[in-house]
Amino acid sequence: MSRSSRRHILKAGGAMAVLGFPAIVRAQAKEIVILGLWDQTGAFADVGPINDRGMRMALEERGMMILGRPVKYITRDGATQAGTSTRRVEEAVDGDGAKFVVGPWSSGVALAVSEVAKRKKVVHLFSGGTEDISGARCHRYSFQWAASPYTAAKTVVDSFMEANPKAKRWHLLVADYAFGWSVEKYIKEVGKAHGLEFVGADRHPLGEREFSNYVQKAAANRPDAVAMINFGGDAVSGAREMFNFGLTPKVPLIMTWSSGVEELVQLSPEIRQNVWVGSNFYYTADTPGAKAFVKNYQAKFGNPPGYAPSAAYSMTRLLLAGFDKAGSAEVQDVVKALEGIEINDIVGPMRMDAATHQNIRPYFFMRCKQKGAMKHETDFADIISTGDAPLPKEYAACKDIGGF
Amino acid sequence: MSFVAAQILNGIATGMLYALMGLGLSLVTGILNIPNFAHGALFAIGAYLLATVAVAIGNFWIALLIAPVGVALLGLAIEYAGIRRLYAAGHDYQLLFTFGLALILSESIILIWGPIGSSYLPPAILRGGADLGFTMYPKYRLFVMMAAGVLVFATWLFLEKTRYGAIMRAGIENKEMVSLLGIDIQKLFTVAFGLGAWLAGIAGALTAPIRGLNPGMGPDMLGIAFVVVALGGLGNLLGAIAAGLIIGVAQALVAAYWTEASTVVIYAVMAVILLVRPQGLFGIR
Repeated sequence: MSRSSRRHILKAGGAMAVLGFPAIVRAQAKEIVILGLWDQTGAFADVGPINDRGMRMALEERGMMILGRPVKYITRDGATQAGTSTRRVEEAVDGDGAKFVVGPWSSGVALAVSEVAKRKKVVHLFSGGTEDISGARCHRYSFQWAASPYTAAKTVVDSFMEANPKAKRWHLLVADYAFGWSVEKYIKEVGKAHGLEFVGADRHPLGEREFSNYVQKAAANRPDAVAMINFGGDAVSGAREMFNFGLTPKVPLIMTWSSGVEELVQLSPEIRQNVWVGSNFYYTADTPGAKAFVKNYQAKFGNPPGYAPSAAYSMTRLLLAGFDKAGSAEVQDVVKALEGIEINDIVGPMRMDAATHQNIRPYFFMRCKQKGAMKHETDFADIISTGDAPLPKEYAACKDIGGF
Repeated sequence: MSFVAAQILNGIATGMLYALMGLGLSLVTGILNIPNFAHGALFAIGAYLLATVAVAIGNFWIALLIAPVGVALLGLAIEYAGIRRLYAAGHDYQLLFTFGLALILSESIILIWGPIGSSYLPPAILRGGADLGFTMYPKYRLFVMMAAGVLVFATWLFLEKTRYGAIMRAGIENKEMVSLLGIDIQKLFTVAFGLGAWLAGIAGALTAPIRGLNPGMGPDMLGIAFVVVALGGLGNLLGAIAAGLIIGVAQALVAAYWTEASTVVIYAVMAVILLVRPQGLFGIR
């Protein structure tokens, strides 16, 4: 290479440095980077891709723009593991400039991610069954979209007892981790007012596939109703075994905290007989937001959305509403805007409690339909009630949300 | 007391399925000297094939015959087209091959049947419970317990009492010696792999109405099958049967009194027995 051509290259490089790099820096500064932490591997590998669908739909509704600035949506696989998830979030914050995190799907993992959000001072939205994010481990940066375990337990117990006032002997089957313990505690608490007797409460490991032993034990207790507080594959396996052992449809089965469509589609109509379902979302919700979302989702993917894509969709819309209210993409401005924000979304009216960062919102309770009553393949259940009773102050573990 | 008896019965029923899985894996592990990581995927394919064929032809019993044969043919193809070509390359390559194959087969299940699970009900004649006096027990589980028992016994008879079975056992003990006696060791490997795949396939087919279908069912069962093989003694067929039953009953009894530990007990039992007998229950090496 000649000396002159080398000089040309150096000149061109210099010009790039002066003109090009600042342009890139400006473009990066304008972009708002939002991370969707959705599992593609591990126990919730089947959920991550549909979480992603919901989040993407919410961003695309806005043309991938907010406050006149482009949104850069990045996703990372948390592998349903605390170690991997926290590492991926830190990488996205430090390397990609992400200041807003939505996800993951597991309560246990989300508690670890919430700690990263606090340390890195980034906004974190989560939907799940642990009460700790808006309870004992609350802080300014994390927000809980799902109903409080208390709201869920109260809706389920009150609604079920109204329909089955004589079913006072309950057997509980509980997933042995943060989410299961939280909901179990409130089922027992709310049950006192109805005079419920808990004839058994067995805890099973996450990912259990051999439910025959638990079901046999439940049958031996001769309960009036069995309530499961588990999720996903565990709930599907449990419900199937209840039917195989002849407990359902004789004894009603309550799936307390269900993903709705994603679980029900895995059970045949015979297994769904006399099954009662509590969920954070069901696609026949009579709200304008739900109708539009369900129509678009079905047009795009062919099947109705369950809890997973709906939560991701609504959490993202909540975050975007926070940007709108703040008129800013600065983390602290968005946090302040989200505190106390009220929006009418797919589940109905929602209000983010400023003191605890717990979403006050309706929880749904459904009864599965008989095979003959189903109008189409995914006509699984009727919504029979909703409830939004907030966690009473005496139970609130979030005494001080703290500062920035 | 009737409750404990019911749990033991349930443990035996589950244990027979574990034994069936362990038996197939033990056979392949013993002959090839490598753990077959694809054994779980073959189990899952057996379940999916049963449901697909049964729905297509409307007959559970014929599907129960066809599905394991389909898996056995797949096993033969895997041995013939893949593993056989790697004998010369050594165990590491065979190990990597079966590991990669397990991933490919699992993803293929998702591509063919979709990522979301489904339920497949037992045939009408086996639905509901049977009154055993001390407990009501699902008819289908009783059928599975008996069918798995017959299959395990028939496999054991074949391996213990037939000439070809003796050759297979000799192959497990000393391949070179069998080869020196003029027996086609390649063919022996192929047949053993096919038989192992057939056992995984029929275990999967029998399990489909109990556990339903989902893409993760293979890895779920593979972990237990490995425990059964290690506990029974590598390549020891009687050991695999005993270990399957021990794990099933231990799981059921622990679940009766301490449900949280019902999964961990599988590994705890293995750890304790291997501490006392590192070669497994009936193993000699």
